[in-house]
Amino acid sequence: MFEKIKWSELSRREALKAGTAAAAVGAATPMMSGTAFAGTEEDSIVAAAKKAVPGGQDLTGLMWGLYSSGAKPVMDDFAGLTNIKISKLQDISAFEIPQRAMAEALSKSPEFDFFHVDTNMIPSLASAGLLEPLDDYMAAANFKVNAVGDFGKFLTYKGKTYGITTDGNVHTQFIRKDLFENPDERKAFADKHGKEMAWPETWEDDLELMKFFHRPEQDLWGSANLRDRGSSVAWWYMYLYSAGGFPFTDDMEPNIDNDAGEYAFKTYLDVKEVSHPEASGWGTPQMIPRIINGNAFSCQYWDGIIALAENPSKSKTSGMWSYGPVPGSKFSGKLIKRSISTPNVGVLVNRHSPRKEAMAYMALFMGTAENSARIVGDPANTFHDPWHVDHFKPGSLPEKVYTKGGMDAIKQNLQIVTPPIFLTGLLEFETELKRNLSEMYAGDKTAKKAASDTSEAWARSIRRIGKRRLRDELETYKSLFPSIDVPS
Amino acid sequence: MTADSTLPSDMAPQLNSRAATRAQGVRRFKWTVLSPLIALMVFILLPAFVLQGYFSFFSFSIFDAGDDTSFLSYFRASEWVGLDLWKDALTDDKFGFAIIRSLLFAVGVTVGCFVIGFALALLMYRPFRGQGFYYIFFILPMLTVPIVIAYTGEMILYQNGPLNDIIGMVTGTRSDAQFLYKQEVALTTIAAMEIWNWTPFSFIIMMAGLASLPKEPQEAAQILGASKWRIFWEVQLPLLRPVILLALILRFLESMAEFPKTWGLLQGGPGSATETIPVYIFITAWQFFDISYGAVLSYLVLFMMMAIVMSAIWLLRREKKSLDAMYETKPQEG
Repeated sequence: MFEKIKWSELSRREALKAGTAAAAVGAATPMMSGTAFAGTEEDSIVAAAKKAVPGGQDLTGLMWGLYSSGAKPVMDDFAGLTNIKISKLQDISAFEIPQRAMAEALSKSPEFDFFHVDTNMIPSLASAGLLEPLDDYMAAANFKVNAVGDFGKFLTYKGKTYGITTDGNVHTQFIRKDLFENPDERKAFADKHGKEMAWPETWEDDLELMKFFHRPEQDLWGSANLRDRGSSVAWWYMYLYSAGGFPFTDDMEPNIDNDAGEYAFKTYLDVKEVSHPEASGWGTPQMIPRIINGNAFSCQYWDGIIALAENPSKSKTSGMWSYGPVPGSKFSGKLIKRSISTPNVGVLVNRHSPRKEAMAYMALFMGTAENSARIVGDPANTFHDPWHVDHFKPGSLPEKVYTKGGMDAIKQNLQIVTPPIFLTGLLEFETELKRNLSEMYAGDKTAKKAASDTSEAWARSIRRIGKRRLRDELETYKSLFPSIDVPS
Repeated sequence: MTADSTLPSDMAPQLNSRAATRAQGVRRFKWTVLSPLIALMVFILLPAFVLQGYFSFFSFSIFDAGDDTSFLSYFRASEWVGLDLWKDALTDDKFGFAIIRSLLFAVGVTVGCFVIGFALALLMYRPFRGQGFYYIFFILPMLTVPIVIAYTGEMILYQNGPLNDIIGMVTGTRSDAQFLYKQEVALTTIAAMEIWNWTPFSFIIMMAGLASLPKEPQEAAQILGASKWRIFWEVQLPLLRPVILLALILRFLESMAEFPKTWGLLQGGPGSATETIPVYIFITAWQFFDISYGAVLSYLVLFMMMAIVMSAIWLLRREKKSLDAMYETKPQEG
């Protein structure tokens, strides 16, 4: 992969050009404001990048503006140090990039050097031949992904690393502390239910609390969980996994037309009672303002919203939230809690790009302890969430933005984090699941019918993608699951 | 009687040669205009049709083409399935419902755009002061990008949005109508946005049609004492029939293909209430990456649209013939 430089083939012009660039970089580095890389992590990546791409390169990629603004300072630093710079970004939503990336895979296009996309797409995109494995670059730069728990595995597929996360999304429980701790509310709850109000351990506890605080006449809704066709599938996974369910059998047959599957669909539907009537059409742009404006009692939501909710200049509910592990289920006979990481957004490098080496090193540079903390800890652009071990050290930059309580909750949820369907064909499986969830939520079918229809559609997708291929991938998918049931 | 037969015989060859030169010029002009279109057909559309046809009989999987970087990988990753996908499509309930939704949507939108567009054209076609301003004002929606209409519509139509506020102010009671997220009304809401967006198209066509009507029959009817309504019903409307048909056909075909607003707002939901043909094919091809099945669906839609277009052309020809016949009818002698 790394070709040795043949000095005899290097023209005088190229040598001078490289020398000039190196001199310029060398001169510019000490002048860079506010950035001093004391650690060897960054130094070795920069050295490896300079060796591989001496003159630097201009790169381009697909990245959502909400993400690129937080990552830009780090990208600019890398450009200053190596002359490898992002000269053009196509700004589209992270939720649209999976389809775009698949289209790029289909056309085997070298146009984009990287895709900032849900790393759960790694099996599909790697199978479609789009992704460059990063292991050789990591070895050359002496770099390791140092994520909390087994979270680093989410970036691998069949033993190879295909991405560097920038946004360690994990769902976290949000509860309105001001209401939850209010003595009058606690008394009213105790009078009504004959028990003390407590942090919800199960989905059923959660629903009971949400029902109690569901007050539409005050524009206060029990739940702010998403129920749209776009991304609300995340909740379904938590319900299924915590019930002890798994979407497929070992023989790669759909495994949801059963009690656990029906439980997941039913639990998803039960929340309708405490959701806004328009929730079926609301994605994050509509729901987030309702959370931070105080129109919801609780939800499980992406951890990045902690940073937003605690920012007094942007939120009306700063200091009014408690965070903790998501509820679980005793459906299987024991309490199991499962959070979800979708989308877990990271940088994936295009194998067809002639500039892939340069891009790979930039991706590694974004994943170091210090740089990832700068990306995650940006107080204004809070789309990148903590994932690195060092982010959770007391006094870290991310802790200042996410608060101590928020960081503790994120760490707890990372201990029980699970992926969505980590197989080739994620989009196909999820599209059918979303369709059925949406039809059930709209009242077209029961939970049982939704489970059986999804199962039937999945069987067709399995046949189309190839049962043997998927069976081979099951082991990787299962290896991403946590070994503990409840976080410590 | 032809012109040639009225001229002296020595001038006939000169005229014939002039006519031949003119015919040649017309022929050259036709080819100049048609050549780019024919080239587009042969080099772009035809290969696409052929490839689509190929992949409708050979099931292609993107995941089998991954490691092979050559373009031949697409063919190597395809497997002969014969008519299987065609049979699947013809028995696909979801596709059937998508067709019904699209037809309902297109009929509603076509009628809506036409009625409003024609009414506006009738109000506007006679010159009056400020006509230019109103003309620009009425065609503005057509100049707005559909996806922008989708997002603007969402802001206006959501439950706590301004439309409900306005309804509340007018009726004096709080309005909680859900225009988008109730499956019974979602398609109608998108249709209303489509009508707003594309009524100017019908308006422009009908304006042009009304402006080009011969004045003599209308003046004659007026002199004979016909009322405005009778002139409209018995003179203008029959003469406008081909234009009306054209406006309806073009709008119908466009409405069948509506995608940006439906996808941008509801992605086929709530439930599957707005899963029209374009949405269903998009989901099949770009979310399921079932390129082969998407090709079959596209072909079926193409056949359906061809049948509709052929019927429309037949109707247009019939209208033109009857109109020509009407013009050519000579007054009876005596």
